[in-house]
This record gives sequence, structure tokens and C-alpha cells, in this order.
Amino acid sequence: MQEATLSFKARAQEALADPTLKIAIDRTTGTAERKRAVAMTQFPQFEAARERGKRIKDHVIANLDHYLLEFERNAIASGAKVHWARTAEEASQIVVRLCKEAGAKRVTRVKSMLGEEIGLPHALDEAGIERVETDLAEHIVQLGGDRPSHIVWPSMHRTREQVSEMFKRLHRAPHQEETIEAMVDSARRELRDKFLTADVAISGANFLVADTGATCTVTNEGNAELTTTPPRVHIVTAGIEKLVPSTEHALLLLRLLVRSATGADVTQYTTFHCGPKQTGDRDGPEEFHIVLVDNGRTRMLREGMKDMLRCIRCGACMNHCVVFRQLGGHVYGGTYPGPMGAVLTPVFDGLESSRDLPHACTMNGKCQEVCPVAIPLPTLLRGWRDRSWREGLEPATVRFGLGIHTFVASRPRLYRLGTAIAIRVMRLFSRGGLVKGMPGLGAWTAYREFPAPAKRTFMEMYKDQEKGQ
Amino acid sequence: MSARETILNAVRSGLGNTAVDPAAVRRDADALLQDLPSIRPALLADGLVDAFIARVTSPKVAATAERIASASELPAAVGRYLEAFGLPAVVALQPAAPLQDLDWSGFELHDKVAPDEMIAIGVARWGIAETGSLVFHSGADTPILANFLPLHHLVMVRADTILPFLDDYAAATAGQRPPRNVNIVTGASGTTDIEGSLVLGAHGPRFLHVVIVGTPDSSE
Ligand code: SF4
Repeated sequence: MQEATLSFKARAQEALADPTLKIAIDRTTGTAERKRAVAMTQFPQFEAARERGKRIKDHVIANLDHYLLEFERNAIASGAKVHWARTAEEASQIVVRLCKEAGAKRVTRVKSMLGEEIGLPHALDEAGIERVETDLAEHIVQLGGDRPSHIVWPSMHRTREQVSEMFKRLHRAPHQEETIEAMVDSARRELRDKFLTADVAISGANFLVADTGATCTVTNEGNAELTTTPPRVHIVTAGIEKLVPSTEHALLLLRLLVRSATGADVTQYTTFHCGPKQTGDRDGPEEFHIVLVDNGRTRMLREGMKDMLRCIRCGACMNHCVVFRQLGGHVYGGTYPGPMGAVLTPVFDGLESSRDLPHACTMNGKCQEVCPVAIPLPTLLRGWRDRSWREGLEPATVRFGLGIHTFVASRPRLYRLGTAIAIRVMRLFSRGGLVKGMPGLGAWTAYREFPAPAKRTFMEMYKDQEKGQ
Repeated sequence: MSARETILNAVRSGLGNTAVDPAAVRRDADALLQDLPSIRPALLADGLVDAFIARVTSPKVAATAERIASASELPAAVGRYLEAFGLPAVVALQPAAPLQDLDWSGFELHDKVAPDEMIAIGVARWGIAETGSLVFHSGADTPILANFLPLHHLVMVRADTILPFLDDYAAATAGQRPPRNVNIVTGASGTTDIEGSLVLGAHGPRFLHVVIVGTPDSSE
């Protein structure tokens, strides 16, 4: 957790200086971006489906109290126990208490970003309960003793070479061959008996289905079902915004979620969990608990951030974000990285400590464009910037600089002159089309090349054209 | 105030404390399920079985499939599969009547799936043509772990239970008491967690073989 104490700028500098990080990020986000693009060409109905998905989530949020009560009623009828938690601490305490009541020595966990958000890994460790992460990426994160750096690929900051080294050092029967297949096999061997001997299973939920009381998990590895079936107790933690009216609505959203996350059409395993073991069932837990977590969500509702509650945690916004792809996820310092993280972290951690995040954005709008539920991320980020300004959180130098920017930007001729000057200056520093270093761009160009600006600005060309007509 | 009340009150005040009319909410929710063809992807072929098989065997799902005319041919099909992989005829058979009733002479059968089970044979309740998925409901004849522990998973599905789209499954079961688990299984277990490259057999099966029985209008 050392990163959290450093400033954003310091973390960014560290990330930029890391020789392997950029390679690791590019390998995963590059594949994700390509596969999503292919999936889109194969699903021309995506735009219409996206509009529908947005409306489903808006409908749920607009009737959230109704759906929460319907879900609770049906979950209880299925034999589940429903708990409510106002804050992250309350949620973690409930889970730890349930584990203790179950006499749990070992718990297995299915990756859940909400679990990370409420600090569950830490709370379980503190309580002295053995925690086994079963998602391969979370297993890598656990072995490495660090934090997830992406919401779909939590260990994307690791290269295969690093993973291999860790497995060799820490697995009981590690791989011999240096292939990714052999490494995956090593993890399969390592985790097998732990699945079957855990006392409690903890998962998140991608959807909470109001009309059945079921929770839904999606995975590609099959670890969710292997985790949640053998133990005597299954605990689900989920944010209150995860509700959908019915299974049918959930499946419409699933089409959007998976294509946006990995470019596949559907996850290998989509499972609805409804209550504990039923009479006659061959397997399954005897106790089924669901913890509904607020942790800032009702505040978002009150404070004009309703749109963000549509988020289905697909990760597309970060895969397509130029800042994320330069720096990776750890730099953001919170549970959620990338554009959605920059919107959410100030909600959870307060704006004062995270006010750099809404600024770490080029406003190119790519995130909003790829978001499967059309969340206006740049607008929400701008909202945080404004607020940070209003609350006087911006340091004097920024206030001064921005003051000039506002002064100039509100006077178009002056603004154009200013950008023209800046661009000319950049041209002076460009060699062979790339800016390799320039005063004032130090942190960026020390490790990166900046594309040289076009020979003429758009406005210059535009004016010439106007004149020509 | 309990956490429950605090949260519900906060939700209500966040929404402007307007009264909820359950009938209107239901109407709006139903309206969101209208005109589904405009938001569904296209099937890969005209006939449902062809579309299903095309998806199951597509590179995205990467499973294998074959058709047989009647369930009685399943043991022979399983035999051919095992031979191709050079595997012994020792299989975990799902304790479901459509499988138990077949003639398995020459096979050594058991119904408890071991942690390192090599081969398990199951029967799915539905197939889904859109995604090449198989749907299982937990129950007295369907242990869930049997779908996840084996290295090779062989699944029989009747042609007349193949549904066109994912949402057709939901519509087909709406209003029924849900089982503890609904598994929608699409291909073998996979992971892209190491540098984004796909590897099969992460924790669940590495091989999935689907056997389609009969035709859409005659199940046997
Ligand atoms: S904000 Fe949109 S793109 Fe980003 S994770 Fe959420 S749903 Fe996906």
C-alpha cells in the first residue's frame, strides 16, 4: 500500500521509469482493444443494444428502492440471508463476522472489485483467516503481495517472465517448461485442493436479479463455481447498483458486458446463484448470505453522479484510455483505475487526496465512446475538476495557471495565438516527426516520444479554406 | 436506524422521494424487453442446430461437436472420442435418467466426480444457438461440480431443446422457481490473465465435446 501514500505525480514518474510495465500494459490492452473492435463489426446491433442497456440501468436506478425490496423479498424466500452495509468497514465487518461464526479457517474468494473496494482481502488477513484467491490474476496479485491494476485483468502489470519466477518460487509443484500453458497448469495444481477444503466461499455479483433473488457471476476460468459449491457457506458482496429487473434483462446486459470487456460474445461460465442447497441437491452450500453495500452509492445519487451508477465494470474505458495505457492502474491509487476510477475514487477516498485523478485526462472522449452503457465520463471528470476548484483544493500555481488559461481561453483570438505559439515551439523540438524532449514537457518526454504537431493548426488550414472560397 | 433503513431512506431522498407505483415499474421493465430482434446478434446459420454447431466449433468457443440420430448411439460416440485421445473407458456419468438408461457395457462408470477426474459425461437441459452455450440446472440428478472438475467434459443435448437466443432461455423459465445454480456453459474453461493470451483448462475442463441428439422436431 506504499503507493497510496505517494502523490499521483510521484507514482506516475515511477510508472514511467519502470522498464517492463509499459510492455506488460501494451500486451494486454492491445489485445483487448483489437478483440473488442472485431466483436463490434460482428454485432452491428451494438449501438441499439447499448441504448437499451443504458435505459435498463437508468430504469433500475430510478426505481432502486423498489428493486432493492423486491430482491430482498425473493432472496429471503429462496433461503438466503440478506445483510445491509452502509460503509466499506461495515461490509467487511459483516463478512468477517459470518466467517468467524462459520468457524472458518480457510476461505476461497472469487475475484470481485467490490470486495477490493470494501478492503475485504485486508480485513480477512487481519482476522487471521487464510484467504485463497482463486481467479488466476488475483492469485498472481496475492503471490506478488501487491494490488490489482485493472478491473478485468488485475495482474496485467506483470509480464510472463515475472509470473514464471513467482510461480517457481511459491508453488508446490511448479512448471518446468517456460510456456504460459505450463504456468496456468501450475496454478491449476496449486489451487485444486484448496477449492475443495475451504470453509467459506466469498464472491461478488455482476447482477442481482430482483424477480428471483439470484446473484449472477461471470468468469472464464470456472473458478466461481468451483469456489462457491464445496464450502458450507457462500457469502456474496454486491453494490446496490447491481440490480436488474429479471434474468432476461441481465442477459441483454451480458451481451454488452462481455463484448466490451474481452471481445468474446459471452463468458465461458455465466452462473445464477439462488439461495442455499435445495432438498435433493447433490452439492452446494448450506448457508447463502448476500451483503448489499452502499459505500457512497446513495451519495452519488444525491450529488449528481447518477450516470456513474450504470457502470457494469467492463474495463473498456481503461483499455482505450491514453493515460492508462502509459501509466497502468496502480498510479490511480484507488481500487478502480482508468477513467471510471478517476470518477469513482474521489467518491470513496475524498476529493482532497484524489483531486489529481480528474486532471489526468486528455478529454479525448474515447472512454465515453466505448462505454457500453454510455456513461459521460469526461463530463463527470469535468464535474470533479470544477468542484476541486470551487472548494479551493487546487494549489496556487495551478489556480494561477488555470486562471491565465481561463482568461485566454475566453478570448478566442488570444487563445488561437497562444496555441499557435505553443505548436510552433513544439515543432522546433521535433526530430523526425516525434518530439523527443522539450522544456515543460519533461516528465512526459523523459520516457515517451510526443507526436510532433501537424505542420499547421486546424484553425490555420480552416481559415485558408474559408479565404479560398 | 438500521443500515437497511438508512440505505433505503438515502435512496429515496436521492430519488426525490417520489412514490413508486409497482404496476408502472413493471410496465416500464417489460417495455425494455420489446423489439428484441433489433438488439440481438445474427445467428451463424439458418437452421437452429446448424447455427448452434457453427458457434460451438467457431474459434471463439473452440469446442467440438457431433450429431447422432438417437441417444442410444451416445456410448459409441463416447467410445470413439476416448479412443481418439487414447483415454481409458473410465467415466463419471451424471446420475440423470437419459444417460443412466443407456447401454454402457464396456465402460467403467461412477457418479462421484473426483478432483482430478479425467472424463465426465453430462446432459444439458438447453442449448443456445446464439452463443453455442449449454444450460444446466442444479438438482438431484445434476451435481454442479461435475461440470467443472473433469479435464474432458462430454455433454449431450437434444436438438429440440436448442433455443435461438440467450434471452429465450430466460423467457422459457420465467415465473418458475429457480434452481440453486443455473450454469450457462460456453466452451472449455479458459484464462487470458497472463499477458492477455488465451489458455484453455484454467481450473475447469480443458476440452468440451458436445453431442447433439436427433432433430429439432423429433428428439429421438
Ligand atoms: S465506465 Fe463504462 S466502459 Fe468504464 S468500466 Fe464502467 S461500463 Fe465499462
